[in-house]
Amino acid sequence: MADQGAADPGNNNNNKPEASEGTIIKVTVKTPKDKEEIAIAEDASVTQFKEEISRRFKAKQDQLVLIFAGKILKDGDSLSQHGIKDGLTVHLVIKTAHKAADGGSTSASSSTSTQAGSTSTSNPGTNPSTTTGSTGSAPPPTQTPNILSKHLSLFEKSGLGMGSANFMELQQQMQRQLMSNPEMLSQIMENPLVQNMMSNPDLMRQMIMANPQMQQLMERNPEISHMLNNPELMRQTMELARNPAMMQEMMRNQDRALSNLESIPGGYNALRRMYTDIQEPMFSAAREQVSVRNTSLHSYSESGAQPSRTENREPLPNPWGPPTSSNPSESGGGSTGSSSTTAGTTPSVSNPLGINPGSLGNGMFNSPGMQSLLQQISENPQLMQNMLSAPYMRSMMQSLAQNPELASQVLMNNPLFAGNQQLQEQFRAQLPIFLQQMQNPEALSVMTNPRAMQALMQIQQGLQTLQTEAPGLMPSLMPGGIPGIPTGGAMPTENPASSPSSAGTNIAQQQLMHQMLQMFAGGGGGGGSTQTPEVRFQSQLDQLNAMGFINREANLQALIATGGDINAAIERLLGSQPS
Amino acid sequence: LAISRVKVPRNFRLLEELEEGQKGEGDGTVSWGLEDDEDMTLTRWTGMIIGPARTNYENRIYSLKVECGPRYPETAPTVRFVTKISMNGINNSNGTVDSRSIPILAKWQNSYTIKIVLQELRRLMMSKENMKLPQPPEGQTYST
Repeated sequence: MADQGAADPGNNNNNKPEASEGTIIKVTVKTPKDKEEIAIAEDASVTQFKEEISRRFKAKQDQLVLIFAGKILKDGDSLSQHGIKDGLTVHLVIKTAHKAADGGSTSASSSTSTQAGSTSTSNPGTNPSTTTGSTGSAPPPTQTPNILSKHLSLFEKSGLGMGSANFMELQQQMQRQLMSNPEMLSQIMENPLVQNMMSNPDLMRQMIMANPQMQQLMERNPEISHMLNNPELMRQTMELARNPAMMQEMMRNQDRALSNLESIPGGYNALRRMYTDIQEPMFSAAREQVSVRNTSLHSYSESGAQPSRTENREPLPNPWGPPTSSNPSESGGGSTGSSSTTAGTTPSVSNPLGINPGSLGNGMFNSPGMQSLLQQISENPQLMQNMLSAPYMRSMMQSLAQNPELASQVLMNNPLFAGNQQLQEQFRAQLPIFLQQMQNPEALSVMTNPRAMQALMQIQQGLQTLQTEAPGLMPSLMPGGIPGIPTGGAMPTENPASSPSSAGTNIAQQQLMHQMLQMFAGGGGGGGSTQTPEVRFQSQLDQLNAMGFINREANLQALIATGGDINAAIERLLGSQPS
Repeated sequence: LAISRVKVPRNFRLLEELEEGQKGEGDGTVSWGLEDDEDMTLTRWTGMIIGPARTNYENRIYSLKVECGPRYPETAPTVRFVTKISMNGINNSNGTVDSRSIPILAKWQNSYTIKIVLQELRRLMMSKENMKLPQPPEGQTYST
């Protein structure tokens, strides 16, 4: 060691400074794990320094990266160039296959704070892991175009996973359709009314607060009211609502956050709890809300909308927005003469208006999908009820009521009326009353009450029988009106089938319609149709005949029972008499 | 706001931070110093962050530029990555750090320091949403 060459007086430890006059300084070299004090000449070069270091740290020179005061020391530099003096510290990184200064030390709680810190800029303190559920949950459909609340998106998933009644699925479908049809969505969005509403945070807040259930919810979850009161957040949410792309973005973020949440032990339960605690009340709250304006979207947004709340629920822009769609397909077919309006829901079972998913088109009603849907609906009265109570349905009806023009347009499109001026006229006259009726909660509840509907149907049947037996009696019944409509609901599938036939029995139908309208306007009573079942089901009877069911009586009975649904009638026939 | 304290003049503060940077206080995972030793205004600083282990930033050394304006420390410094990085809150094309997305920059307090900023950025690298982000090849820098 003494003379390893360049015997320098100042030669310390393992150091070979080149310049003999270099003062030796002690520099601390620090790695995240380690710390060494290295003596080196003041004017040494970085390379020399590294040599020393590599010896001490047992690493190769080219693995070493030295950092001082935020700068990387390059081999060609000298220590003094960087101002490295005695007693100062230089950071060392030894690059191994997978080393890199282990940063564990900094900020211990990184993982937890992660969520808070890193996530979405715009997340004012929403902490996904809060079990108390900072916000209400979004009820059914995940894909609500209008995500007003980031928080809620958390619940989206939970909502989606849990508890979809048929109705929910329906809604989801609708929403999906809506989502997949950006044009429609943007149309709806562009509706100035919608925009107005959305751009008014106060208004939104009021709407939300007005709902007693919401208030309850707010009481239980103060965060919700915070959110509501945070204008920034509301504005953001509304912007989001306006901007589908943003929304999707948000949804993705939320989904991610949510899935993160799920992976936390116990997280899934928390989610579930949140859903039950919050989503349910929200959903029912939504349903109860009555729209205050025309646009169904509007009302819909109320329900879902607490901006912070339900992302999903948020305004499902009513795909069948009044102005846009109107493609009524007749639901009641001839017999019920239900005119269809553009109300949203698909199954128009009990919906005399033949509310139809106008959004996507004509004749949708006649599609096989519809048919099965209708059947499904008829089998599931609850579903019907759900549907009818859907906020947008209500608003639909309201808007129709308020807008006779629109309603008449809608109705006029109904193929039933197509070739029939007279009928149209009649109907038009009846329209206001008709619409009013739809507004009548009584009527609505009648429609949603399966038993009531059944009763009505029975009455109708009775009247029909009466007609057959005592045709003379009928005319006197006419003024009395017939609630053919509600009953019509029970015979959904009749429509497509019977429509063609109804076309054939035009005049009778007109009368029927007329009556029905009156009936309905009168608040409904028992009713039947003016035509005899035979007449009504003429074409069905023919078909049955052709199929080989020659027992006309039985056929007729079956048809009456099933309301003109050939398939159902056949089943009935087969059930009663093995043919 | 912060507790009422004596307001330390800017230069004193920065000199303190300079000294601290040179002494290598801390855990060795961040480093900072004047960009130019002759800079009398103590405005331009360089910083270095060593990518935390078990993230996609591991094994990398990120170089940054920190600018402490005339109103520092009352106002937050502006921070910019020199080494290319993919991270939330960092502009992809020029490496500027979005003050609104980094919590301590957004809610700056005059007791914060450059060191704290660097450490915070490093901490954010370990966040779930950042740690797995695919990173550009090592050694690339932004053109500005």
